Amino acid sequence: MQASRARLFKEYKEVQREKVADPDIQLVCDDTNIFKWTALIKGPSETPYEGGVFQLAFAVPEQYPLQPPQVRFLTKIFHPNVHFKTGEICLDILKTAWSPAWTLQSVCRAIIALMAHPEADSPLNCDSGNLLRSGDLRGYQSMARMYTKLAAMPKKG
Amino acid sequence: MNTYGLREVRVKKFKRLPEYEYDVKRLRSREVRPKRSKRVDSAEQKKRKVASEDKYEVKKLKRKNSEDQCKVVDGVIEIFDDEYGDYSDKYEVKGIRRTDSEGVYKSVDGVVKIFEDDDEGDYGDDIEDEGDCNDDGGFEEDDEDWCLNDTDKSDDDSREKCYTVLIEDDIRQQQQEDITQVTNTLSISRVSATILLRHYNWDVEKAHEAWFTTEEKVRKDVGLLEEQVVRIHNMENIIKCSVCFDDFDCDDMSAANCGHLFCESCWTQYISMKINDGPECLMLRCPNPSCPVAVGQDMVNKFVSDEDKEKYSNYLYRSYVEDKRKMSKWCPGPGCEFAIEFVAGSSSYDVVCGCGHRFCWNCVEDAHRPVDCDTVRKWVLKNTAESENVTWILANSKSCPKCKRPIQKNEGCMHMVCQCKFHFCWLCLGDWNNHGEETGGYYACNIYEKVRSGGVYDEEEKIKNKAKDYLDKYAFYYERFEENQKSRLKAIESLKKIQSEGLVKLSDKYGLPETELGYITDAWQQIIECRRVLKWTYAYGYYLPPSEHVKKQFFECLQGEAESALERLHQCAEKDLRKYLEEDGALYYDTFPIKLVDLTVLKSKLVNLTGTTRNYFESLVRALENGLSDVGTQ
Repeated sequence: MQASRARLFKEYKEVQREKVADPDIQLVCDDTNIFKWTALIKGPSETPYEGGVFQLAFAVPEQYPLQPPQVRFLTKIFHPNVHFKTGEICLDILKTAWSPAWTLQSVCRAIIALMAHPEADSPLNCDSGNLLRSGDLRGYQSMARMYTKLAAMPKKG
Repeated sequence: MNTYGLREVRVKKFKRLPEYEYDVKRLRSREVRPKRSKRVDSAEQKKRKVASEDKYEVKKLKRKNSEDQCKVVDGVIEIFDDEYGDYSDKYEVKGIRRTDSEGVYKSVDGVVKIFEDDDEGDYGDDIEDEGDCNDDGGFEEDDEDWCLNDTDKSDDDSREKCYTVLIEDDIRQQQQEDITQVTNTLSISRVSATILLRHYNWDVEKAHEAWFTTEEKVRKDVGLLEEQVVRIHNMENIIKCSVCFDDFDCDDMSAANCGHLFCESCWTQYISMKINDGPECLMLRCPNPSCPVAVGQDMVNKFVSDEDKEKYSNYLYRSYVEDKRKMSKWCPGPGCEFAIEFVAGSSSYDVVCGCGHRFCWNCVEDAHRPVDCDTVRKWVLKNTAESENVTWILANSKSCPKCKRPIQKNEGCMHMVCQCKFHFCWLCLGDWNNHGEETGGYYACNIYEKVRSGGVYDEEEKIKNKAKDYLDKYAFYYERFEENQKSRLKAIESLKKIQSEGLVKLSDKYGLPETELGYITDAWQQIIECRRVLKWTYAYGYYLPPSEHVKKQFFECLQGEAESALERLHQCAEKDLRKYLEEDGALYYDTFPIKLVDLTVLKSKLVNLTGTTRNYFESLVRALENGLSDVGTQ
């Protein structure tokens, strides 16, 4: 418990320093609970998510960093590896391939990379996975774009 | 090979301390070759064979570790004490072929080994040589016989024994030998060899082959580096541990071969967590996310608690058996620690573990020869399936025609009174008021009979009858299956009791050494084995298609013959024997010869019945195994 707290505190300090370094990620710790974090990430360019800002919620376990944090999307997103309703993310580093040397910051980076490179063969969102698997790139992109515009971009006017 | 009867040797200590009795189980023969061939005649060879490869476990042995001279005379092992030259214990080994010889007896942790007192050098080599020059791969086979309570003298139904029972020591030893072999051949460390072998499921050949063809790739896949990376220290020698983010002096940190440094406390936590997560810890990697380097047992032993070390080494040990799924399996017997190594392509899957548990190697169910695994799976599933309950309700209850409450009729006439006070006829479900003398009275219902004979079946009635037939059939077979199982378990109990009390009593009473009462144990072992076979034949019978009339008849005839022979044997072994045991010993004390005559009668009867029963069961088993092909398909 103390180890995880100490480590999270150090990460917190790092985040303060790195904010400028990585403009795509904005990690915020809950004011009252160091085990609850949220992050705002920018959709990677040249993807249907470009221009969107997506919010992630982190729940950090007491055994952190030996065990991975639980992460989910709070912003609705149309992506093969993200559950459309719950925002749950299917990413190996958050499950079996977790390493204690990962940080919350690097998890965010991995999620951005996942947005740019969807893995259609292990879909949590079957509709999205099927579009990609059947080769309908245009269909997938327009759906993803639509939800980005609807949920992840500031409303015009 | 012996088909019926447990492969178990009993050894009794009968000198000096007659109240002690030791159970001796044959644990294994070191090597079993799949090929079967003729017996080796040379007594000398057999002797050495026996000597070098047999191990006995003696329960309750007082001296746990000792090494003494021993002498075998007439199947009795005398063990001498080194210091005094005076023999201290005598054991009788039943069924021992080697009757006279001298050797060295050695007991380690309650396991007794007897070595030939013969200085021709390495036994193992001798065995190999003889095996080759005789072109005889199978004399272990024969060797197996001598230690059995060999009830099966006829060899016609014998099968190859194509498996080996492995005890923990053997498994560990084999594992270490494999590691040593890879270590030597590939010139890598033992830890690396272990990781490599684990990756290739402990297949030495495969590991070698892969290594020699594509070493680079294998190293990458497995996570073994060519050389240890030497970390060049920076000036301050202070490095941040990337797990806990604290700063440490390099000297206080550790790394696997890849050189990624982490603080020792993080290593401890990391490895210990992985170990407690389960056997996956055998695939441990460096905590650095992009580093594929494997972390081996050396690191584990360096950092974690003794308890975790033990766990890790246990996982490693167990993986040796579990990863070789096609070749070895743990015995599924309760509390059994033995493993069975199986030679592929053998004709029979039946395996008897050193603990006495008999099971099918293929499906790990209790041994079920002559019935095949698929039938057994279906049968077992059926016995547990909920569907049988539904069928039962359907077949055994009717709903009240008025209130629709389900009713089970347990006794009495057809006049039913429901809780809703409605009176109705059980057969036609009509109002009882319409019934009377003209419809057949209280015990029959003409309405029902008329409808039935007219072939106008109610749809519901049809389903119900079908379900009932189906259930009746199932109940018939299941009941007999269960009865035989129960009877078998009881027979096992009886045998135990006879071995622990009955034989001593008989031997005291009739003045015969227990060695001469072997036929009683033989009979009981035959009963146990036959009950097992009989039990499974009922599962077989259930699945025999009703359309195969001739086969069914043939099967029922064989089964009937076998069953009645078994009943006679069981009766004799149970009831007759009890008479001999119960009779007042004093009555016959002065008329010694009469007693002997009496036991002779029992002996000839038992031996006869055992033989007959065995023959019947052998033909039953043979017939079922070739799919009753002696009679044609209709």
